[in-house]
Amino acid sequence: MKLSITLIFGALALAQDWTSYGNNALGWRYSELDQINTENVARLTPQWMYQTNVPGKNETTPLVFDGMMYVTGPSNNAWALDAMTGRPIWSYKKALPANVNLCCGQVNRGFAVRGNTLFKVDLQGTLVALDAKSGTVLWESTLEDYKKGYSATSAPLVVKNLVITGMAGAEYGTRGFIDAYDSDTGKRAWRLSTVAEEGWPGDSWKRGGGSTWITGTYDPALNLIYWGTGNPGPDMDGEGRRGDNLYTCSLLAIDADTGKIKWHFQFTPHDLHDWDAIGDPVLTDLVIGGRTVKAVIQANRNGFFYALDRTNGKVLVSKAYTRITWADGIDADGRPIVIAGQEPTEEGKRTCPGMGGGHNWQATAYSPQTGLYYFTSTERCMLFYKTKQEFVEGQWYQASTIGRDEPGNGRIEAIDPKTGKLEWFFETVTSPTGGMLATAGGLVFAGDAEGYLIALDGRTGKVLWRFQTGGTIIAPPISYALNGRQYIAVAAGQTMMTFSLPRF
Amino acid sequence: MRVTMIALLAAACCHAQDAAEKGRWTFRIFCAPCHGIHADGGRGPDLTLGTYSAGDQDADIFRVISRGVAGTEMAAYSGRMSDDEIRGLVAYIRSVSHASDKSAIRGDAGAGEAIFWTKGGCGQCHRVGTRGSSLGPDLTRVGRQRSLAYLTASLLTPDADVTPGYATVTVVTRDGKKIVGVERNFDNFSAQLVDLSGKYYSFEREDVQSMKREPRSLMPSTYGQLLSESERNDLLAYLSSLRGGR
Repeated sequence: MKLSITLIFGALALAQDWTSYGNNALGWRYSELDQINTENVARLTPQWMYQTNVPGKNETTPLVFDGMMYVTGPSNNAWALDAMTGRPIWSYKKALPANVNLCCGQVNRGFAVRGNTLFKVDLQGTLVALDAKSGTVLWESTLEDYKKGYSATSAPLVVKNLVITGMAGAEYGTRGFIDAYDSDTGKRAWRLSTVAEEGWPGDSWKRGGGSTWITGTYDPALNLIYWGTGNPGPDMDGEGRRGDNLYTCSLLAIDADTGKIKWHFQFTPHDLHDWDAIGDPVLTDLVIGGRTVKAVIQANRNGFFYALDRTNGKVLVSKAYTRITWADGIDADGRPIVIAGQEPTEEGKRTCPGMGGGHNWQATAYSPQTGLYYFTSTERCMLFYKTKQEFVEGQWYQASTIGRDEPGNGRIEAIDPKTGKLEWFFETVTSPTGGMLATAGGLVFAGDAEGYLIALDGRTGKVLWRFQTGGTIIAPPISYALNGRQYIAVAAGQTMMTFSLPRF
Repeated sequence: MRVTMIALLAAACCHAQDAAEKGRWTFRIFCAPCHGIHADGGRGPDLTLGTYSAGDQDADIFRVISRGVAGTEMAAYSGRMSDDEIRGLVAYIRSVSHASDKSAIRGDAGAGEAIFWTKGGCGQCHRVGTRGSSLGPDLTRVGRQRSLAYLTASLLTPDADVTPGYATVTVVTRDGKKIVGVERNFDNFSAQLVDLSGKYYSFEREDVQSMKREPRSLMPSTYGQLLSESERNDLLAYLSSLRGGR
């Protein structure tokens, strides 16, 4: 993790860069910059646009340091752009084999950096190190064979001298893992398998899913990495995998040096609805009952918000944030009080939330200024059908389908993580697609499915500014400062674009 | 010899059944979202009727699954499943097909065409080829795209399944005027719509009292009364005949 340079510029204390997926290791997606604030955001103006000309979903969190912006794009592309002008300095492209199986598009969510070395995954399940100055490949390591259904899409996480990465592919009969590689050599330091061999019938653990496709967070004081795991496989037919299916749909606290699990918390035991627990695990200290608790918070895909004690995994707060028909709440041990008869069936069972969950992977934000946790949520139910499916190595293995139902809508919302109480929401006409950014200017930013980048008052949710970018926004916005000017940057459609206050 | 023959027949029987059952699993995963969980149609055609627009031979069905059908929502699946899986799907589709009354097009397409453009008033909102209006969905290829059962349901209860992008948008302006039309765009900050007279409107949310989108159709739900059964059959025969020619 690169240290942010703090300098005094007039009245502004600027932490200028954006140097990791969540901007700090705690996963806050919070910028200390306040030049753009609630008073002047209405004057926010486009500065530059970079057309990538690469089709596909753009889910990247760009990194900014040393005057450069490092952007990953779909289909194994990446660019270094001048952060002031958007002009391209170098580009990277890795050929994609024809038969890489991907559930959800040829996406990538960003770089990690240590010193002058950038790290990214490619879709065929490789981790590559690039020289930030030139884009030269320094080393490349293979996580696992893509022909067996393994792939990689998420931004790595740098912890000390290690590059930590997850994998994707739980819909292809894979067995999930989290890997750590030496940042200088690319040699694997440890692997943590997210599917335990015990507790699964027969050899079902070998294709038990539990993929790890969103970047985790790190608490340096506890030396623990927090990483969420995805659904068990096959998704909606649990007959062959009776039991809780550990450690799928769980949050893992992992010793950063050894890769051993310190504790685990399973949000959805024996999941049958594809409710991955991969949402950003955000680390913050909360005052609950007069006591300050080191917490990890997450809006889980199963429809509940959770705050856990991040030293031991005990549940502190749980509260539904969207319509839920599958559970009556969460018990004192953190286990859902499951309502009977909500399993997918031969003829279809309607359950809320739907397969995408209440909140999926979209980046969340936490502001220490407001103490609020910001995320997008979906209000939707779906028909879930179970079916049988033979396992064929490397092939689609979901054993299920979903039926059409009413179209969903959703919210950009702020909740108090101490209680799970909803503080404000902005209703959206379709299911939200984009992630969040919070800033010291009292603002939160979010993009929507129809292409608007929106600035809201972080305390009230009032819309203070918007801009139609012309492309669906899936990526979370970020903020950085250069030459005394604060920028907001976001990937929209096939374009990377930035905004700032008018120069003139 | 006889014993061998029976054994062979038995094997053939059970092999086909097995293929059809595996085909059913595959069907539920990949095909059911459009063709229905029992293959009896939805937004995609009913496959239980024993007649298929792209040809009735096994090879035709195989080709359609493998390569898709241009100009329709039917995608190509050759990259996503093996030939054996596609053959399983063909076996399953064959196993559920049964000619029934609902497959029979009982009307006269020529008479239906006349109803479409005159008494039915369908052309006031729908287009066929270069003729008609673009307020509602283009019907130029609808006979390929939708089953007879789906068309029948759409004619009698238009709200049953509104084509995406054709919802009803209602805007109430600051001075209390209500404007109702077909969605052209609806997002978090604006609405664009066309009213029944064909007039186009664009509003930003801040400038109006309210705007909402509802999953209902502006098409009249009165065709059950407006047209006799034989007229409806003629109209449905015409719609089923629309395959993309002009």
